[in-house]
Amino acid sequence: MSETLLLQAQRVSKRYGATIALQEASFGLRKGEVHALLGANGSGKSTLAKVVAGVVAPDGGEIWLGGQAVRFRNPLEARAAGIAVVYQELSLVEDLSVQDNLWLGHEPPARFGRVDARAARARTEALLGLFEDVAGPRFAPETLAGELPPDERQLVEILKAVSLEPRVLVLDEATASLDGRQVERLFGLVGEWKARGWGIVIVTHRMEEIFRVADRATVLRNGQVVGEVRIGETSREELIGLISGEASRALHSAEARASAPARRTSPLLSLRVRRGRKLRGLELEVYPGEILGLGGLHGQGQSELLLSLFGALPGQDLSLRLEGQPRAFRHPSEAMRAGLAYVPGDRNREGLLAARSILENFLLPSWKSYHRGPLLDLGQARRAALEVGEKLKLKFGALDDRVTSLSGGNAQKVVLGKWLLRSPRVLLLDDPTKGIDVGAKAEFYQLLAELRAQGLGVVFYSSDDDELLSLCDRVLVLLEGRITAELSHAELTRDRLIRASLGVKEVVSGEP
Amino acid sequence: MTLLRRLLAQPYALALILLILGLVVTALFQPAFFTPRTFANNLRTYLPLILLAVGQTVVVLGGGIDLSLGAILTLSSVVMVQAFGMEADPGPLRTFGGVALGLLVGTLAGAVNGFCVAYLRLQPIIATFATSFIWGGLALWVLPQPGGNVPTVLQDFVRAYFLMPFSLWAVLAILLAWAWFLGTRWARALYAVGGNPQAAFTSGLSVERTRLGAYAAAGLLTGLGAFFLTADIATGDPLIGGPLTLASVVAVVIGGTRLSGGAGGIVGSILGAVAYYLLKNVVALSVFNFNLSPQWQTLIDGTVIVLALAAPGLLRLVRRQP
Ligand SMILES: Nc1ncnc2c1ncn2[C@@H]1O[C@H](COP(=O)(O)OP(=O)(O)OP(=O)(O)O)[C@@H](O)[C@H]1O
Ligand SMILES: [Mg+2]
Repeated sequence: MSETLLLQAQRVSKRYGATIALQEASFGLRKGEVHALLGANGSGKSTLAKVVAGVVAPDGGEIWLGGQAVRFRNPLEARAAGIAVVYQELSLVEDLSVQDNLWLGHEPPARFGRVDARAARARTEALLGLFEDVAGPRFAPETLAGELPPDERQLVEILKAVSLEPRVLVLDEATASLDGRQVERLFGLVGEWKARGWGIVIVTHRMEEIFRVADRATVLRNGQVVGEVRIGETSREELIGLISGEASRALHSAEARASAPARRTSPLLSLRVRRGRKLRGLELEVYPGEILGLGGLHGQGQSELLLSLFGALPGQDLSLRLEGQPRAFRHPSEAMRAGLAYVPGDRNREGLLAARSILENFLLPSWKSYHRGPLLDLGQARRAALEVGEKLKLKFGALDDRVTSLSGGNAQKVVLGKWLLRSPRVLLLDDPTKGIDVGAKAEFYQLLAELRAQGLGVVFYSSDDDELLSLCDRVLVLLEGRITAELSHAELTRDRLIRASLGVKEVVSGEP
Repeated sequence: MTLLRRLLAQPYALALILLILGLVVTALFQPAFFTPRTFANNLRTYLPLILLAVGQTVVVLGGGIDLSLGAILTLSSVVMVQAFGMEADPGPLRTFGGVALGLLVGTLAGAVNGFCVAYLRLQPIIATFATSFIWGGLALWVLPQPGGNVPTVLQDFVRAYFLMPFSLWAVLAILLAWAWFLGTRWARALYAVGGNPQAAFTSGLSVERTRLGAYAAAGLLTGLGAFFLTADIATGDPLIGGPLTLASVVAVVIGGTRLSGGAGGIVGSILGAVAYYLLKNVVALSVFNFNLSPQWQTLIDGTVIVLALAAPGLLRLVRRQP
């Protein structure tokens, strides 16, 4: 090899019990290159990142850094060698401030073991400044990390790695919960870091991102490297084919979109908010057999809207009707009984019981329906869980394994699956496909189409504009707690969506 | 009004409320409590628990708990007494050497606890409950019967009065040390390890070393507590520390430190320790005033403790209302 590689993984293997996470996987990262690590959920991307970061000890194989074999015994050694990783499952300490989180483990030192608070503060402000205008007002050094919304936590996580001034930066699905503007900004910065000679590894399931920033890509399937390509010399279809291992089908393109628009019968659900938390005067109706999208930048009230529908934000001035009947949900349990289901956007905090098994997590909201007399009918429950798992192509060891043994995308499938088991009438989805691979996304879209055909109403917030465009019958764009646009049919274009998100007035000539 | 709000929003609001409650009731039923002499004497008897509560706070912040602090206090105390010998003035070597030895024993015992929890990965509750029997057993071996003597210099030292009682100076010193500690990287590590050990690990911190350090620090603080207690009562007793373990946990809980770790601080625990004693005093007063038979005291003490432990949850419910 003529070029010296910055970082090299050679024939790295790792297994967890019966699960093979990595099997003799090799890849090389050059200086000043953006290298995409691709693969379906559970294919071993995060495991590879963790091996490089010294978090996970490999069973076999070697890591080379700048022409030298290295063996990291813990994350500290990897950091010292200039490797910084943004982990997929966020690793912030919620009770520490943003500033303390950024510098955790490498605080600027002063005398007597103290932290040089002034230097830390100045450098924190400089770092936060990189994303200041694409984040909310709480994005400040002294805010507690636990009080930030998911996207801003992700930004802090990225900056935490950047603050190390690394030689190698690994971004494991760092864009999954960012909105369009934030991704834009991040990619701008990635360009700068690249120019400085950093090697950047990026893991993502969003195809368009790969073609925007990556120079090369390594594709993993079931823990093995199945291909390495130059982005300039490949196509979307070829990549998807490599990832899925099937002959290239248009997996991602959602054929799910209804051919005929939903019949405008009487609405299934209607909501009118006069004053609420973050929401200001808005009205919406959801029809049976419709997928209603919520668009806009992050934190414009989309999550609050979904939570209000679900009765999780009591004490707001709003009125709600379900099939024409006025209802007032004071608690999610009431909404659940009425047939609503809510899939949260932050799986680590709201969606899963980390210490419990996959089965228990699946059954949590619906175990009442698996009773035989006073006893739990575990056999039936297992069958139902397996069925949903199969439908979602869940990759797991056994139903009784801890839910934390799942890869990020597979964990998200459990969050989804547990609500599908309840067969709800209205499905509220808060960015549900975050971190789900292309194949599973296609399955999920298919599933949504089926549910829609059964007459369900779906309200769907997504940070991925493509998804809104290809999946939804109607999209409401939110800005600062108000609906600024309703787009459907021919109006539902990327251009309109972005303009409405930013609150930019339509330019007549800009439209075909 | 806003000041009241701010105070109520503090994690140690409960400790403050209980403290004020205790002070008011005591002032009504036992005004003599506040004469300078009595007050200073009482503060001196509170000091050992305050130190244990501070040590317990450090351990709890790091995600653990130490149920052997009372036994460590006992062990450290009897070691000091044995080292002092029987003379009223054994000379500086035995006097200061004895204190140093006691502190060392406390620190080592804490470090052993920390080793069991951090490196052997034993459950903190079980590990420290088990080691409490070791420390207690060692204490009985060192000093089988109550007895022994404490040099008069030390007795005078803890009774000293310079502008304010010695115990207040001690508390002030602890608070200053804590303020310094909060500015260090070790404080960040402690809170991070307690709040999210996985995050601490991936950030390059050593979870094990941090936990070990927290337990050792608690052992040292307990050794200090043993010194104050021993100098105060001027004798040794191989069973003295027993009840202080539960009391230290109670002080931490009503002081608002989260039992699962990562949030809280020592200010609440100090207030909690004082509140604990005041409440006990109020119970004793009522037993006396209402002519109840003394057997009731243990029962009422226990009930008050359970209520105090339940109160943080109740307070949170009240706060949640807009
Ligand atoms: N701690 C663990 N214990 C048991 N199995 C694990 C553990 N971590 C990962 N695995 C398994 O190893 C495999 C690879 O997981 P990994 O997290 O690397 O996937 P991934 O490619 O990052 O997927 P995703 O796109 O969903 O994030 C999965 O099958 C997963 O279940
Ligand atoms: Mg992953």
